[in-house]
Amino acid sequence: MKKGCFLITALLVLLAVCCPCAAQDDDMVIVTSFYPMYVFARNVANGIPGVTVVNMADQNVGCLHDYQLQTRDMVTLETADVLIVNGGGMEQFMDKIAQSYGELTVITAGEGIDMLESAHSGHEHDHDHSDEEGCLLNAHVWLDPALAQQEIRSIADGLIKADPEHADAYEANACAYMERIAALDGEIRTLLAPYAGEKIITFHEAFTYFANAYGLEVAGLIEHDSGEEPGTRDLANTCDLVRELGIGALFVEPQYPQKAASTIARETGASVYQLDPVVSGDGEMDSYERAMRENARVFAEAFGK
Amino acid sequence: MSVIYGIMDVMLPFEFMRYMFMKNALLAILLVTPLFGMLGTMAVDNKMAFFSDALGHSALTGIALGVVLGMPNQMAAMLIFGILWAILITFVRHHSKMSADTIISVFSSTSIALGLVILSRGGAFAKYSSVLVGDVLSVTQEDLLALLVTLIVTAACWLLLFNPLMITSVNASLARSRGIHARLTEYAFTVLVAVSVMMSIRWVGVMLINSLLILPAAASRNVARNAAGYMRLSVLISLVCGITGLVLSYYLNTSAGAAIVLVCAAAYFVTLPFRRK
Repeated sequence: MKKGCFLITALLVLLAVCCPCAAQDDDMVIVTSFYPMYVFARNVANGIPGVTVVNMADQNVGCLHDYQLQTRDMVTLETADVLIVNGGGMEQFMDKIAQSYGELTVITAGEGIDMLESAHSGHEHDHDHSDEEGCLLNAHVWLDPALAQQEIRSIADGLIKADPEHADAYEANACAYMERIAALDGEIRTLLAPYAGEKIITFHEAFTYFANAYGLEVAGLIEHDSGEEPGTRDLANTCDLVRELGIGALFVEPQYPQKAASTIARETGASVYQLDPVVSGDGEMDSYERAMRENARVFAEAFGK
Repeated sequence: MSVIYGIMDVMLPFEFMRYMFMKNALLAILLVTPLFGMLGTMAVDNKMAFFSDALGHSALTGIALGVVLGMPNQMAAMLIFGILWAILITFVRHHSKMSADTIISVFSSTSIALGLVILSRGGAFAKYSSVLVGDVLSVTQEDLLALLVTLIVTAACWLLLFNPLMITSVNASLARSRGIHARLTEYAFTVLVAVSVMMSIRWVGVMLINSLLILPAAASRNVARNAAGYMRLSVLISLVCGITGLVLSYYLNTSAGAAIVLVCAAAYFVTLPFRRK
């Protein structure tokens, strides 16, 4: 993987040398680290003249776990006035950015949110979601709409500080967006209320926050990182767990390999459902809400059977 | 199929055999390891260890091409590309004065880079990265059938090819005098290796597939006294190591593929002192 990214980076260096950077102007350029930050920032900065929001990583990239900064990102950052990140160790490349762009204003949307400890903590990983103390965190907070609102608040506050000229517009946008998310929260709550206490098995820790928010219980979590084979015993134990608890649904995310899930499904007769961790999409204003509504619908469908 | 499972239940009343995926994995190992033990002997004799490694890497490009061409089944793309790639490497090797390892290295790195460039467009590589490590625990019944067919076809071709290949690898001019077309035999063998590698790469993975081919044969060569014994022992070693590795991976909770390769490596080092000078 690392080797591959190195190759890609080398290629992109070539490309970057060939294509001259876009001309700079006086516009306010907000760069976001990945998809959910992009959607949040777009909503907060919506309709303000002279303010553009650019997403750094390609929008097809999933969570940034394995992401290596590409030369293209460096070019994007060159023009940035503000960088919005999720924090909690999601952006593992932040130290590199701090080195190269010490002056850049960084808004950490997840600041002040009490993040859960990562399921990774027990394992040894060479690349870690770690905070200063070296403890690993689960940074997927945006999947709880209440915490998403907190992130939007932080983004708005940061932008107002960085660009006081448009303070009123940011504030108004953020309030309107947070109201929409609050409505979404209520909607999902009503939809999933009958299923409180249901046990779920997921293959990536992203949905732990969602589960906590709506009273679902994560009974099992098989962390099946890209390029990692699950332990034979882990697989066997999860099969036992699924049978024991009578779990009928396994939840996977499209960005990750699904072999382990389908093996368990074949073994136990459980069905596999796909969830959207909102790390990629069309980038429309309402894409977060649409994706979360769809997730809620998938859960309801899985439990309703 | 249920008959086979029934027999396995009776004959193997172990805790780990309760799981369907363990039964399937065991059957897959019973099919794949003899294949590799067999082909491995000739790969070792003909100094082709690096060649098969390059073939494994080309699986990545095969998948990438399958994705680009929008083929619903990337298996076919992998298979076709693997065969063409194997023929191309052999062809260039015969028609170039450069040493074989350099040529193979050129092809190996080209294919892996090409595969990575195509597959990681938009950072979607994570989705395909499972082919790098493979996962023998996810073998399904249909996959087992495909492996069975591969084993039968390969074994049949092998019987036809064994003597000509043997003579060619010992003495090329002797082979020619016997009317054996050395080049053709070699091409046939490379295609055979390509097919076997591509058929099993999803279960073994790009990074480990070559060790499965080379290690049992190398271990067998340490102790075998004649050609027939060499091959029989190689098949036996890879079978035993495959099963041991799978069982160990259950009790030690490690990934199955890596455990199997480690057991094969252990077999090599254990047999090393017995190597006759």
